[in-house]
Parts: sequence; structure tokens; C-alpha cells
Amino acid sequence: MGIEVLEVIKQASANPGRQVQEWKQRTGGKVIGFLLTDVPEELIHAAGFFPFGICGGSVRMDRAEVHLQSWSCSYVRNSLALALNGKLDFLDGLIVPLTCDSIRMVSGIWKHNRPLPYMGNYRLPMQVERPSAKKYLLGELERIKRGLGDYRGKDISEEELIRSIRLYNSNRNLLRKLFNLHECNPDVISNKDLYTVLGASMVIEREKLNRLLSELVKSLEDKTKKPVKKTKLYLSGTFINLPEILDYLDESGGAVVGDDLKNGFRYIEADVAETGVSPLESLAIRQLKKIPFAGYDVPSNPRRYNLVKEAQRKKAQGVLFLHLKYCEPENYDYYDNLQALEQAGIPSLRIETEFGETSPGQLQTRIHAFMEMVGGENNVREKEL
Amino acid sequence: MSEKKNFKTAALMKEMMRNYYAQGATAKEKGIPVAWVTAVFPVEILYAAGIFPYYPENFGALASARKVADKLSLYAEAKGYAHDLCGYARCGIGDVYATEHPVGEILAPDVIFCCNTQCGTLPKWFEAASRHYNVPYFLLDSPQIPDQPEELITDYYVDQLKEMISFLEEITGEPFDYGRLAEVLRLSNETCRLWNEVLDTSAMKPAPFGFFDACFHMAPIVTMRGTPEAVNYYRALKEEVDERINKGIPAIPNERYKIYFDHIPLWPKLRWLSDLFASHNCLVAVSQYTHSWAYSFDLERPLESLAENYTEEFVNRSFEYRLQLKMNFFKKYGVDGFVLFSNRSCKPTSLGLYDKRSVLNERTGLPGVVFDADMSDLRFFSEAQILARLEPFFEQLASSR
Repeated sequence: MGIEVLEVIKQASANPGRQVQEWKQRTGGKVIGFLLTDVPEELIHAAGFFPFGICGGSVRMDRAEVHLQSWSCSYVRNSLALALNGKLDFLDGLIVPLTCDSIRMVSGIWKHNRPLPYMGNYRLPMQVERPSAKKYLLGELERIKRGLGDYRGKDISEEELIRSIRLYNSNRNLLRKLFNLHECNPDVISNKDLYTVLGASMVIEREKLNRLLSELVKSLEDKTKKPVKKTKLYLSGTFINLPEILDYLDESGGAVVGDDLKNGFRYIEADVAETGVSPLESLAIRQLKKIPFAGYDVPSNPRRYNLVKEAQRKKAQGVLFLHLKYCEPENYDYYDNLQALEQAGIPSLRIETEFGETSPGQLQTRIHAFMEMVGGENNVREKEL
Repeated sequence: MSEKKNFKTAALMKEMMRNYYAQGATAKEKGIPVAWVTAVFPVEILYAAGIFPYYPENFGALASARKVADKLSLYAEAKGYAHDLCGYARCGIGDVYATEHPVGEILAPDVIFCCNTQCGTLPKWFEAASRHYNVPYFLLDSPQIPDQPEELITDYYVDQLKEMISFLEEITGEPFDYGRLAEVLRLSNETCRLWNEVLDTSAMKPAPFGFFDACFHMAPIVTMRGTPEAVNYYRALKEEVDERINKGIPAIPNERYKIYFDHIPLWPKLRWLSDLFASHNCLVAVSQYTHSWAYSFDLERPLESLAENYTEEFVNRSFEYRLQLKMNFFKKYGVDGFVLFSNRSCKPTSLGLYDKRSVLNERTGLPGVVFDADMSDLRFFSEAQILARLEPFFEQLASSR
């Protein structure tokens, strides 16, 4: 049963537009896309819209390059290319989280070239520890909530928002269970399948996703495979964008045990409190406490030390940096991240990729060599404990 | 073009900037904290608190103008900082690891202030610097404003200014002096007023002063607004420009066309670029860059007014707002064409220019062109490629008359 569910999810991930179009036809509802990933999807969902995560895809990039310089972020160029090539025609709206310069600038370019009925930015605070941050963020979330309500023609009620928060928490909880299953026994679900499911969770109807994930988790929990010793790795960067990388890890005996990726564990790590404070405040608190990423450093929990701490806690034998070419925030952090890892004696490998890239051939050799170095004899495939 | 006489005021500026850097060098001995700041930062508060503000961006511009950005960058690149990061940042980071310092050493900070109004690069660079120097870092966060200013943003910025003032009080050990702030704001207003009066003369036909002159004379408006020295300087510059008007001395010998230029110049090729325009009888009259420092503070409500002035800078505004701004400049200065510099070092001013070129052309009918290069690094400079863009533009200008 688990295998069949996994197939359904994988197909959704391979053709993200189809599910959402079917939903649109069936319900007559509206779809609000978002660039990854800090956007408070719960608000979109609470308004009755379908939150659709734009996760990149295979598309001709040249149409985007008329609008965006080739040295801008490839995730941003790829997303715009998808829109310009008609691959996102089902979108009724778009929310762009302003986390770096490329993404901040694409918002206006997108609006100019492919205007949608609802377009907005999510201007999350870039400092998160002073009292001003939370107060401002509450106002910003209120503004987005109001905007979505206006677009729907009816304010989002507190009950609606709480309902969506519960659903999303439940999604996240199931996805975390999946991560845990993988961590305890990587053979139960491979690196590639794990991240494929996570990606699919951004493009599948969230109610349906809960059913699929529940079934999947249950069937995997029932699997009684004997754990196999693998080489534990931590991933750090912005995105996992080439599934082949996960294949290379799978085939060389690597098991990802944690990450700080926007489309990885960082996406599901923190829940939104369902009680205690107002739902909007809960959303704000969640945002302020997310896993440190390259957008801004957090003085009380610097990213480089968080990286070391997490890698050690998860007993990772190495860190794989997944950087996008031209990603400035990651690049400014890299030297210090590397120093911190070296001081802690944790080996790492940095690989640089681009969305829209098609031949990751060389990466295989580099990843295999790294795996051999960090894992040593663990890497003999299928070696029993 | 070589017959063009330098402004007498240039000597005054050199002396003033020399003093400014000397102040920085001796600040530590005198127990004055050195703070790193960014160009679009409410430096008035630091001047009021008696802190010495130092501009790493200026260090980058200086290294770029002296054509050593690539050399300094190599030291940063050796540490893993990519050559496609901002040129100023690469100069600043590179100098830290350099064994040779062709433009002197970048001044080490005691505290780092930063603003993300301009871009996301400055915070990332300054975060890295705060780790390197092991000093406190304070970010004034400035979320993007769309077409109209928003109370949400102004309030957030005011809250942060208050947080910053408390932070400063801890550093200086003294209560913040709002009376002194009012005086600094008054001086800053006066500096901005004089600077913009000078810039406005570029609308005259022929004009005594143009964009390339402005690039030369802008250091004090960036670094020293809020000080009496800056007021004196721009008063002297204004007098000299008036004198040139009276004597009929133009900025370029045969001004036929006025050009709008976006944005920062190509520092290592400033003379080449200015000669190129002049040789086609084009006066580059205006740029949003040099016009960025046009603040007007209300002394009755200092923090609110600082928040409005600094968050509403064009670089923190929407696509459409920036189009309008450019068109307002076109109109005010009566430009005949526009040149947009797609600068690899600066995504917030460059991304969107490809579309803006065609929109501006459609809306105004003026010829315009985009070219790609880098403000700092000559490795990304191709004279042939730029000429291939600009020559047809000059021909278009000539045929439009």
C-alpha cells in the first residue's frame, strides 16, 4: 500500500500542475502561487485558496533572460521562465517572500510581464530578535490576511485560520515522522523519495496530502527492515534542486539526517501554536524562530554554530553544501560556515548548481569521492550492521 | 575635453576627505568609537551621538576608481567569496586578507551599523565583517515600500531607531542628546539643499555641472552630511558653479544633448566614460544615484522624519515607482535620451532594467539603451561590447534632432 501511495505522490511531484488544475476544475477555486518558502501558506489556505509552491521545473530559460540578467538567481529566473512559458497559467495570484535581492526584484518584473489578479510580497523582517520585529511582523501578516480577504470578498475569520493552522501542523507532523523514519532506518525511505515527498507537499491539496501521508507513514512504520549502517550527512544551503544529487547519495550509502534547506526540513520543522495566543501571533512566532538560513544571521543562534550543533547532534559524518550559483546570501556565509565546521572537525563538500541545469554528470564523481572519504568502510553498499 | 578646468573646490574636498580619514585613524586613540555604516543610513544619529561613521562602500568605490578592485577581490576569492558578489564587498573583504593595501587599510570597526534599504548585500557583507572583527552588529531593517508609503513601515523603522538609540547609549555610556540631533538634522538639511541646488544646474543649457562632476563631488554628501564642514563645502561648490554660470563655462564644450544615466558609474573607467559622452556632445545631466541624497528632515518630529526620508529611498521602492521617478527626472532635466547601466555588482539597481528600457522608450518616445558591465571590476569590462551598445544610441540621438 505504501508503495502505491508513494507513486501517487511522486507523480504529483513530477507534474505539479496537473493536480492543481484538476482541483481548480472540480472546485472552481483559486490558486495562489508562492516562491519558496517562508510565505505563511496557512493564510492562503484559510481564505479557501490553493497554496501552490513554485518548485522549479524543466523549461526553456531563454524567455526569462530577456527580463533577468544571467547572473541573477537561477531559481528566480526558472520560476519566471515557467510563468512566461505558460506553465503556471493556472495561477490566480502570487506571493513573493522578499529574502534576497534577486527575489525582491523579480516581484515587479513578474507583475509587469505576467500580471495576476492577486499579487503581493511577503516582507518578513530581516532581524528577528528585537521587539520591533514581532510587532512589525504582526502588522505585515495582518496586511496579507486583509489583502487575501479582500481578494476573496470576505475577511478571513479566526476559525478559518485556526482550521488551516491545524491542517498544516498535521501535514508537518506527518512529514517530520517521515524524516524520522528515514533517519532511523534510511532503507525504509530513500533520500530521494523523502525529498520528493516533501516537494510534493507544496503542490498537493493539503487535505488530500494528509490522507496520503498518513497512509504512507503507517505503511512504512510497519516495514520491519533491519537497519543498515549508512554514512550520515547534513545538507546546508538554499534548495535541493537536482534530484540526481539524492540519487548519488543513495547509491553511495549516504543518509541525510538533517538540513537547513528552504525546501527541506526547514520547511516543516516548526509548527504554529494552536492555542495560547492569537493565530496571527502564532504565525509570527513561528517565522521568528525558524532554523537559521542565509537570509540573515541570528545573533543568539548564529547559523554557523547552529550548523555545527545540528550536525553533531545528528552524528553527521559530513556536511554537503548545496549552493546555487549567484546565490549571494549563501556565498557570504560560506567562509565562516566552513571555518566553524573545520574547527569542529566535520568534513564538507560544496557543490554549486543552477535551476534549469540538465547535466549534473561531474557531480556524481565528486559526491561519490566525498562519500568514500567521510564514510570509509560504511559505504560498502548494503553492509549489514 | 582636456581643456576642461577642474573645479577649485576639488582641492578643498581632497583636504576635507583627508581630514575625515585622519579623524577615523585617530578616533581610537581619543576613545571615539568607530562605526561602520552604509550610504543610505541615518548617519545623523551617529553624528549626534559623537561616533565616527566610516563607509566601507567608499573604500570599495575608491579601490574601484584606482583600478585595484580585481586585485583586492582575489584575496576574497581565495577564501571562497565568489567573483560575482558585489565589487565593493569584495574589496572590503579582500583587503582584510590582503598582504598589500593599494588604497590603505580598511578601517576596523568597534561597532557595525547597517541598513538593507539599498540591498541585501550590505547586511551579508557586514554580518561577515562583524564575525571577523568580533564586534556588535545592528541592522536597521527597511522592508520594501510599494507605490505609496505605509505607516506600517514607518512605525517599524521608528521603533528600530529607538532600539538603536538605546544600543548607542550603551556604547557611549551617555544619554542620547536630542538637542544635538536637531542641530545635526538642520546641518544635514542644509547640506542636501545645497547639493541639490548644484545638481539642479544640470538642467541649464548649456549646463555648468553634470553627472560626472557630481560623481567627483559626492563624497561629502554621502559621508559628512550633518556636519558644518559639509555645509561649507557645498556652499563653496555652489559659489563656484554660480561663478561658472556667470562666466559661461560649460560642463562639456559643445553640449547638444542631455542624457539620463542609471546608476552608479563605472568607477575604474570614469574618465573614459565621461570623455565618450562628451565626444558625442552629450552631457550626462542626471542620475537617480547622485540625486539619492535629497533629504529634508522635519526637526519637530525627528525620528518619524528620519524614518520617512530613509525608507522611502527609490532603491527601496517598486518597479512602477522607479519608472515614474526616472520619467520625472527626464522631464525636469529635459533629457534627450537615457542610458541604463546593468551593473553586475548591484542587483537591486540592475534587475528590471531590461524591461524598464522598453517601457521608458514606449512611454516617453526617447531613445534609450542598456549595457552590461561592473562598477568595480575590470574583468567584467569590455570596451567593445559597451561601444557596440552606445554607438547606435549616439546615432539615434543625432538622427532624432
